[in-house]
Amino acid sequence: MRGLLRKIFYEVRGPVLLFSIGLAAIMGLLTALLPKVLGDLDKMFDSIPFIKPILTAMLGVDPGDGFTAQMMQAFLWVHPTVLSLIWAHELMYCSRVPAAEVDRGTVDFLLGLPVSRWKLYVAETVGWIVTGLVVLTTGFVGHTIASRWLQPDMLPGAYKTFCVMANLFAVYLAVGAITFLVSANSNRRGRAIGAVFGLLLFSFLLNFLAQFWDPAKSIAFLSVMEYYKPALIIESGDFPVRNVGILLGIAMTAWIAGGIVFRRRSICTV
Amino acid sequence: MTAIETNNLTKSYGSRRGVVDVSLKVEPGEIFGFLGPNGAGKSTTIRMLMGFLKATSGTCNLLGKDCWTDSHVIKQDVGYVAGDVRLYPWLTAAKAFRIIGDIRGSDISKRGMELAERFKLEPDLAVRKMSRGNRQKVALVLALAHDPKLVVLDEPTSGLDPLMQDTLAECLREMAIAGNTVFFSSHTLSEVEVLCDRIAIVRDGAIVVDDRIQNLKSVAPRSVTLTFESEAAASEVTWPDFVRFKRQYRNECFLEIDGPATAVTQWANAQAVVDISISPPSLEALFRGYYDTQPTAKETV
Repeated sequence: MRGLLRKIFYEVRGPVLLFSIGLAAIMGLLTALLPKVLGDLDKMFDSIPFIKPILTAMLGVDPGDGFTAQMMQAFLWVHPTVLSLIWAHELMYCSRVPAAEVDRGTVDFLLGLPVSRWKLYVAETVGWIVTGLVVLTTGFVGHTIASRWLQPDMLPGAYKTFCVMANLFAVYLAVGAITFLVSANSNRRGRAIGAVFGLLLFSFLLNFLAQFWDPAKSIAFLSVMEYYKPALIIESGDFPVRNVGILLGIAMTAWIAGGIVFRRRSICTV
Repeated sequence: MTAIETNNLTKSYGSRRGVVDVSLKVEPGEIFGFLGPNGAGKSTTIRMLMGFLKATSGTCNLLGKDCWTDSHVIKQDVGYVAGDVRLYPWLTAAKAFRIIGDIRGSDISKRGMELAERFKLEPDLAVRKMSRGNRQKVALVLALAHDPKLVVLDEPTSGLDPLMQDTLAECLREMAIAGNTVFFSSHTLSEVEVLCDRIAIVRDGAIVVDDRIQNLKSVAPRSVTLTFESEAAASEVTWPDFVRFKRQYRNECFLEIDGPATAVTQWANAQAVVDISISPPSLEALFRGYYDTQPTAKETV
């Protein structure tokens, strides 16, 4: 396992560093700028009417209805730039084995080593979880540094922030595990990333449409965003047990299915 | 214990059959040549041996263990070089020794450095800065550095200069003398002829011959080149039964004969021939014959 982890480290250290710095910078900037940008929500909704349903879809609550300064911080955790960076990291990471290895032809070298496919899969998983924690933690550090310039009553507090981050990490696990499953079935990294990106886009659209279209509401449970509502967490202060449980269930199912497919499939670079 | 044993190994891709009923037995200490033209099924067979592809039917064992279910256990004693070597751009030989040493649970750095020196390889140069030949050398060094009991090489000399080809042949002979086995796939006939004890030829996914080199040499034809006084004289010749006319180029005629050359030299004396060249029994001509004409199982399926 140590040799495999060393190989993963050599391969991903550069991208992980870049994603971490990028996320820290973005989260720092958003933390500092969001209160100014969103200072007068009502005025913004009047001037750009279509923005309200988008924000409602992202947050899971109506931002015009009893929206507190603390809840405003939820924007940070659902901001498309933040989610895009986190997902870009994991789409790239989780499509490495076997899709990217087959795609670039290095899988022959990798599978020529005395290591079972399950062990390889587990080593990749360890790297995925560790790099995810690194990226998210660095993002949190960026947010924490920028928070020093905010008024204390605007901050949701450590426990609520922890709950939001736990929910976000559960989303990270679910999306990553689905990427592992798609990658296990694919010989082309681009195709694997494209498929998961399509699913995420579908997820976003479904979550958006469910705000005002009943047929979409009835299948909104298919959207991964349905299980990630930072504004509600900040409002209630409760740990989102149900949502995290569902996301972990999705993650575990997809991860096991990906491992079984990878273990059983024929792999050929030609 | 047999080093490699396959029985009726078959791999189908839908309605297309990649490899058909391949049965091979390679004993320890042998250097076994696996020959065939491009697309014949050599790499598919090797990928089944290495546990990358699951056979559609038949059995396949390396060092007494099943190639699919025990693949990772087998590879502890197997070295492998793929046909089209692709390595990680950031990899250096020195980093690879550490990573693979960790994975194999043994320090391969010392032996690896010896081999790197023998193959004139810079251990700290990243793959992204290497020529194709040097990448091939890295793959070879990594396949040999743990002193494997069996080494499976898929066209290993591609990209190597003649001196490095000789170094590789030397390493492989040393392995065989030590009782280890070499499975050497190639479509270059000459290198197999000088290196291997036994060969199998695969064509269209099926084995068309499997024999010792010495036995094949005894039935191999000789190539004969006759140079006539003129192109017209060459064109008017009536060929005797014991020669096979292959082609004519201006005043030169290219033939093949089986057995001793006495008959053809006597016959040539009576013709308008100004020069005659007769090669020793040529495996190349024999191999070409197998490549071109033999019907295969795949064709008869």
